[in-house]
Amino acid sequence: MIFHATQRLGLLSLVMCLSECVCLSECVADDKLALSVFIDQNLEQTFEKVGVTPAPLVGDSEFARRVTLDLAGRIPTPKELKEFLADIDVGKRERLVDQLMVSEDYSFHARNELDIQLLARLQWNNEWRAYLLQAIREHRSWDRLFSEILLPEKMRPDDKGAVAFLRQRANDLDAMTNDTSTLLFGVNIACAKCHDHPLVADWHQDHYFGFAKFFKRTFATRSGLVAERFEGDIKFTTTLGEEKRAAFMFLNGESIVEPELSRSAEEWTEIRAKIKQSESNDKADPPPVPSFSPREQLVSLALDSNKSNLLARNAANRIWARLMGRGLIHPIDQMHSENPASHPKLLDHLTTELADHDYDTRVLIRGIVLSDAYSRDSSLPDSSQLPSPEWFAVRTPRPLTPFQYSLSLWVASRNPDSLPGRDKPADWPKIREQWEQRAEQFARRFEIPEEHFQVSVEEALLLSNSPQIEGEFLRNQSDTLVGYLQTVGDEPRIIDAAFFNVLARDPKEEERAIVRFYLGARGDRRDQAIQQWVWALLTSAEFRFNH
Amino acid sequence: MKVDPSVCLNRRQLLGAAAIGASGLAANMAQVELLSQPAFAEQLQQADKSVILLWLAGGASQLETWDPKPGRPTGGPFAKIQTCIPGIEISELLPKMSSRLHETAIIRSLNTKIADHGQAYEVMDTGRIREPGVQFPHLGAIIAHQLASTHSDVPDYVEMYTSTEGRRKGAAGYLGARYNPMFLTESMMPENLKRLESIQDVDHQERADLQRILSQQFSMKLRNNVVDSHNTAFQRVRGLMSSDYLFDIERESQTMRDHYGPTQFGEQCLIARRLAEAGVPFVKVARAWWDSHGQNFETHQELCADLDFVMAALLDDLKQRGMLERTLVITLGEFGRTPQINGSLGRDHFASAWSCTLSGCGIRGGTVYGKTDEDGKTVVEGETNAGDLFATILAALGIDPKKEIMLGSRPIPLADFGSKPIQEILA
Repeated sequence: MIFHATQRLGLLSLVMCLSECVCLSECVADDKLALSVFIDQNLEQTFEKVGVTPAPLVGDSEFARRVTLDLAGRIPTPKELKEFLADIDVGKRERLVDQLMVSEDYSFHARNELDIQLLARLQWNNEWRAYLLQAIREHRSWDRLFSEILLPEKMRPDDKGAVAFLRQRANDLDAMTNDTSTLLFGVNIACAKCHDHPLVADWHQDHYFGFAKFFKRTFATRSGLVAERFEGDIKFTTTLGEEKRAAFMFLNGESIVEPELSRSAEEWTEIRAKIKQSESNDKADPPPVPSFSPREQLVSLALDSNKSNLLARNAANRIWARLMGRGLIHPIDQMHSENPASHPKLLDHLTTELADHDYDTRVLIRGIVLSDAYSRDSSLPDSSQLPSPEWFAVRTPRPLTPFQYSLSLWVASRNPDSLPGRDKPADWPKIREQWEQRAEQFARRFEIPEEHFQVSVEEALLLSNSPQIEGEFLRNQSDTLVGYLQTVGDEPRIIDAAFFNVLARDPKEEERAIVRFYLGARGDRRDQAIQQWVWALLTSAEFRFNH
Repeated sequence: MKVDPSVCLNRRQLLGAAAIGASGLAANMAQVELLSQPAFAEQLQQADKSVILLWLAGGASQLETWDPKPGRPTGGPFAKIQTCIPGIEISELLPKMSSRLHETAIIRSLNTKIADHGQAYEVMDTGRIREPGVQFPHLGAIIAHQLASTHSDVPDYVEMYTSTEGRRKGAAGYLGARYNPMFLTESMMPENLKRLESIQDVDHQERADLQRILSQQFSMKLRNNVVDSHNTAFQRVRGLMSSDYLFDIERESQTMRDHYGPTQFGEQCLIARRLAEAGVPFVKVARAWWDSHGQNFETHQELCADLDFVMAALLDDLKQRGMLERTLVITLGEFGRTPQINGSLGRDHFASAWSCTLSGCGIRGGTVYGKTDEDGKTVVEGETNAGDLFATILAALGIDPKKEIMLGSRPIPLADFGSKPIQEILA
C-alpha cells in the first residue's frame, strides 16, 4: 500500500483512505471515531476500578496548542489559533486534526520524531533525514520502512539514506542487536547477553545470541554501503559454562536453519577476497551477495503476523507514549511478560488496528488525538493528590523536542501579521522548509528528552545570555513580535497580543498586573522593557512544555 | 558582585505587584521555596567535598611514572628515586612528587583489559564495560549528582580539555542533562556566562524574576518534577554568572601564578583549585597527548616534567589552604603503556598492569596498593579494575558505592555491580 505524491495532494478524504477501505470519507471517519471511543471506554473502566477522577477536558486553545505541537511540530500561529477559536462547528477539532495531518508541517515533524527514535542520538545524518522525509511524504507504511532500514541493500542506488540505521552501528554487533530489538520491537535484551534475564522468563542467552546472529555477518563497505558476508557464526558460553552455538532465533523463539551450500575452496577464496576489497577500497566493486541473507530472514520472521506482533505492538506503544507522555508499557523498552501493559486490552487493540490498516501509523495517531484521553487537562482543578500517571487520568506534561522548541521559538517571536492562517499561501512549502532549516541551529543545541530528562543549566544560560538568542528572537524589527508590539500602542492590547502569540492564551488578571508593573517601571526604556518581557514569556516553563 | 540597594527595592516592588495582582501568589512562591529545602539540607552534608581529576589523555606510561622498572629489559633509560616514604620508589621524572607522597596513594595493579582508546575511555569514564542501550554517566556526573546542591551558585561539573587529541565531552547519561559538564575547550571562560552589554544588570535580574513568577505559577499547577527542573535551571543562572570570577586567574597574585607555572596545564589547575575552593564538586583537567607509540622517552621527559610540577603545586596549594582533606585529586588516563619497547622506541597501548594515583580526601597517603612482576608485564598482587577504582573514589568521598539508581525497573549501583573499594588505601 504505497501512496503516491500525486494522491497526497488530493482531497482530505482521500488522504486518510486505507487500502481495504474504498476511499469513502464517511467510512474512514467512522473508523477513527470508533478507535477514539474504544480508547476512552477502556480508560474509563480503569478509572472506576482504581477509583480515580480524571481531569476535565481542556478548552479549544489548549487543545489547539497541544495538537499542533504533536502533529505539526510547532505552536499554532496566532491566525491559525484565532480561526480555530472562531469556528463554531461541532466537528472542528476533528477538522483541525485532519488538516494538520496532511500539512507540510506534519511530514517534517514526523520525520524529526522518527529520526529521534532511530538515529539522532548517535548521529546527525542529512541523507538519512532526507530519506525519512521522502518516505513520510509518500506515506510509506511502518512495515515497509522497517524492511527498508534493515535491508538497505535492496534500495535503489540513488536512495541510499536508509542505510544509516545499520551503517552507524555496523562495527558494533551489540549495538545492531540491541538497538534493533529495543527500537523496533520494544524489547531490551541486553541483560540476556551475560545471563538469562534475571527478572524475565522470556529472554534467555539463546535469544540474545540468536538475535545477534542475524547481524553477525553484516558489515559496512568502504563506500558507505551495508552488506552481508557468506559466513559467520556465534558461539557463547552459558552461565553454567556450557559452550553453545547460537541458532538464528527471533525474539519469539522462532528459529530458522541455514541451508547447506557447498562451495569449493577457490570460490571461498574469491568471495572473501572481494568482500575484503569492498571493506578497504571505496572504488571496489560492490561485494558479492549471498543467497542466504540472515537479515532478510529476520525481516520475514518479524513480519509473519501469525507468529509475532512485536513490530506492531512496539510501534503502537511508542506512538501512544509520544502522544500521551508515557507508554501503555512503561518503560517502552521493557515489553515482556513480567511488565504487563497498564491497559492490556487497549494495547492489543491498538496493535491490531495498526496491523489491520497495513501499518499506517496515521490511523493510530488520529484515533489517539481525537480521544478524550488526549484532551484531558495536565492539572487538577483542586489540590487533591495527582493520580499515578499510568492511569492517564491527568495529562503528563512533555518537554518539547529540540525541533519543536526551536521552531516554536521562531513562530512565537514573529510579527503575527507575517504568519499564515489555516489556508496557506502558494509558496508555503518553500517557507516551511526554510523554517525547518532555520530551526536546525538551535535544535542541535537542545537535549533530546529521554526518560530522566531535566532542563540543563547549559540551556538556561544559552537562553539567558547568548547573542544568538537575542539576534534571532528579540530583535526590534518590523517582522518580529517585539517590533510588532512597539506599534500596537495601547498597553492592554500589547499585553494580550504577546500572551496570545507566545502562550496561545489570554493573560490572567494577575499576570496583566505584573506585566503592567514591569513595563510601568521602565517608562524611560520602553523598547527594552518589551524585549525583556517577551524574553520572559519565550523562556517560561509554560512555553518549554507541551501540556 | 555588589548588591545595589535600589535593585532590591525594585525586586520587592515587583514581587509586591504580584501579590496585589494575584491573591496569595507571593505566598505560594514562598511555599515552593520551602518545599525544596529538605533536599537542600540533606545535600549540604557532603557539599564541601570536591574532586579534581588530572586526566592523562592518551595513556601515560606507568614505567616512567609510578611503577618504574629500571635495569630490566622493559625499564627504559630512566632511573627510579627513593621517595619521602621509606620503601616507595617512583620514576626520576617525578622528583617533586617524590617528596610529596604523604597524602598520595599509588595503585599499581589496574587491569582494565581494554587497550583501544575509544572503548578504554568509556571504561575509565564510567567505571564499567559498555552495555548496549544504556547510557552510563561519567565519573564527573556521578559525583556531581551525589554532591551538588540543587540551587548551587557554582557549576556542578567543569571539564577543561584544550587539545583536540582524544577530546570527548563528559556525559551525564541516564542521570539527565542537569549533570552534563560545563565543557571548556578553546576559552577558559564558559560560554554564555556573561551578561550581554545590551541589557543592564537590573533588567537582566528582573526579567528573570518576571519569568520566574510566570513559570512558578505554571509549575505549581502542574506539580511535575520535569517541569520543576526548568525553574531550577533558570534559578541557577544568576549565581553561575556571578561565578565567572572563578575562571579568571588574573585575580590570583603573581606569586600564586608562578607557583603553578606559566603552562596551560598549570593555569587550568589553578582554575580547578579556585573552582574546588568555591564548592564545585567535580573538575576535570585534561593534559594531552601521552600516546607515545614512538619516542616514548622524550615524550615522557617533557610531559612528566609538566605533570610533576603542576601536580606538586596543586597538592601544596590545597594543603596550605586546608583544602586537601576535602579535595580528592586523581591522576588517571584511559590505560598505561606496554612494558615492551617497540622499534620506534615507543610504548604501545597497555591495559593489563598499569597505575594511577589518589591524593587527599579520604585517602591513606604514603601507600602503594598492588604489585606488578619484575618486568611490569602482569599484576602479581592486588589486581583491581575500573569498577573497584570508582568504588574507592566514592568511598573516599563518603558516598556509598552500592547506592542504587533506578533505571526503569533496573537498579544500577553507583559503582559497577560487584565492585569493592580498596580498603587498604582508604583513610
